[in-house]
Amino acid sequence: MSRNKPHPVAGLLLMFSAVVFAFPLLWMLLSSLKSSTQLAEDPYSILPQEWRWDNYIQAVQAMPFLRYLRNTLLLACGSVLGSVLSCSLVAYGFARLRWRGRNLLFGILIATMLLPWHVTMIPRFLLLRELGLYNSLGAIVAPTFLGDAFFIFLLRQFFQTIPEELSEAGRLDGLGEWGIFWRIIIPLSTPALATVALFQFIAAWNDFSGPLLYLSDPKKFPLAYGLEQFVSSYSDQTHLLLAAATLFTLPIVLLFFLTQRTFLRGIATTGLKG
Amino acid sequence: MSTNLRRDVQGLAFISPWLMGLGLLFVYPFVASLYWSFCRFDLLSPPQFIGTENYRRLASEIVEGGGFGRAIWNTGYFAVLSVPLSIALGVGLATMLSWKVRGQSLYRTLFFLPSVVPVVASSALWIWLLDPRDGIVNQLLKSASLPPQLWFKGASEAIVPPKWFDFGSKDALVFMSLWGVGNFMVIYLAAIGDIPKQLYEAAELDGAGRLRRFWHVTIPMLSPVIFFNLVMGMIQSVQAFTQVYIVSEGTGEPATWSLMLSLHLFLSAFQDLDMGYASAMSWILFVFLLIATALLFRTSRHWVHYQGAGR
Repeated sequence: MSRNKPHPVAGLLLMFSAVVFAFPLLWMLLSSLKSSTQLAEDPYSILPQEWRWDNYIQAVQAMPFLRYLRNTLLLACGSVLGSVLSCSLVAYGFARLRWRGRNLLFGILIATMLLPWHVTMIPRFLLLRELGLYNSLGAIVAPTFLGDAFFIFLLRQFFQTIPEELSEAGRLDGLGEWGIFWRIIIPLSTPALATVALFQFIAAWNDFSGPLLYLSDPKKFPLAYGLEQFVSSYSDQTHLLLAAATLFTLPIVLLFFLTQRTFLRGIATTGLKG
Repeated sequence: MSTNLRRDVQGLAFISPWLMGLGLLFVYPFVASLYWSFCRFDLLSPPQFIGTENYRRLASEIVEGGGFGRAIWNTGYFAVLSVPLSIALGVGLATMLSWKVRGQSLYRTLFFLPSVVPVVASSALWIWLLDPRDGIVNQLLKSASLPPQLWFKGASEAIVPPKWFDFGSKDALVFMSLWGVGNFMVIYLAAIGDIPKQLYEAAELDGAGRLRRFWHVTIPMLSPVIFFNLVMGMIQSVQAFTQVYIVSEGTGEPATWSLMLSLHLFLSAFQDLDMGYASAMSWILFVFLLIATALLFRTSRHWVHYQGAGR
């Protein structure tokens, strides 16, 4: 099989592409450790003249970093709880129960995935404001308790692979549907649930438009929004900005490395089956 | 109570969270925004029916190249460049990763990592990398004796002649989106792994070289994923918001050359409090995406090859 051996020129192309892709992050990391004078006078030298770890402490102090972090974690944990809970219930209803209208409703569920968020943005905003959720983290967390089409789809695909005999055995033991869901399906589905939790955590961590729409009180801002404020108000303090951006990115990168297999498999399956 | 009815109630009970969401977060907003698109509505007073005025205003803006027309052009420019390029790059990178080379998993990580960087952070990063005065990219261009670019501060459009090497804000956004192609690349990579080896062997026996095997085996086998990427890429690029908001500091500047549909819609609604106009815009956008998706599905019959019957 000669298919897998690359031509030498192609090998060089691969290396070149890798350098291009890696460069921005590497450059950000290195520059975040340079002094402000070095960034002003000699911005193109690769290594920091002196490694200024202090930049990170200053960046954290230049904004209410810990409060932002707390808000982000509240948003992320609340959303993960909401999504895992609601989506697993709904996915069970679609995957393991037979009832009239199921396929029609599932079709509608898929169709909502294609709906651009603009169409619902304004009424959704006014509705949540009516419910007294404006300027509250609840405006962002509450909708996750009502399910998300993408995650429901992902979990349904997984639940369908669990043999029906296991449910039958549960029924013979006198379990109701709730018992089967809770005692049989959920314990067998931890990989899929972990994928949902992971993706929802990252989505909440990164979410910018939610806080932009719903939060007005700086005390409630999460990191993503706080960082944007920092970008627009401290544009002359590049070293601090880069340190803050690195700090904001680092947890997600670490999470990726820790959960690489769950991560990549999640993307591959949802993409292929979509 | 019949068992059928019991089963229906049980099924509906399990999906009830989503049913509530469907009603509150989709059906109601859907109907409300359709109605408001025919209204003058500034949040301060109740919506006031004005017929098709919002739609006529949007139509005249398209003709005169005003706000909405500008936004359509900008969004179209971004989508037409970023979607095909991201497909080409995604397929290209995945193909390279399928080669047997040393450090394969390191390469995979390097290509994928940018796509997990939060958009707020990557926007801040690229604003700095592409700074027209002392950004590293312009410095690299200079050392290659190429002219420095204005990037996010510029209004030029590289594919509009005669400005072939004149990159402005939208071109910069395209480059930024290509950097984050890792998501789709992973899907391509998985699909390449699923291609049966016999197909390549058969093609080789028929005397097909490297390129012909790529073109006649890999590409057709990847066509379902390419199609998925095309549909999702179109929807995502038409909705691009966060990066556009951040690089233009929430204004669409320079001189509305980065004003994309989603930003224009957001500003009309929440800055000008012109909810009726914004709702009408969202409906035009929705109908456009619906038609475009339907057309893509129609053409897909001719070029997307599904393996087996079940998928």
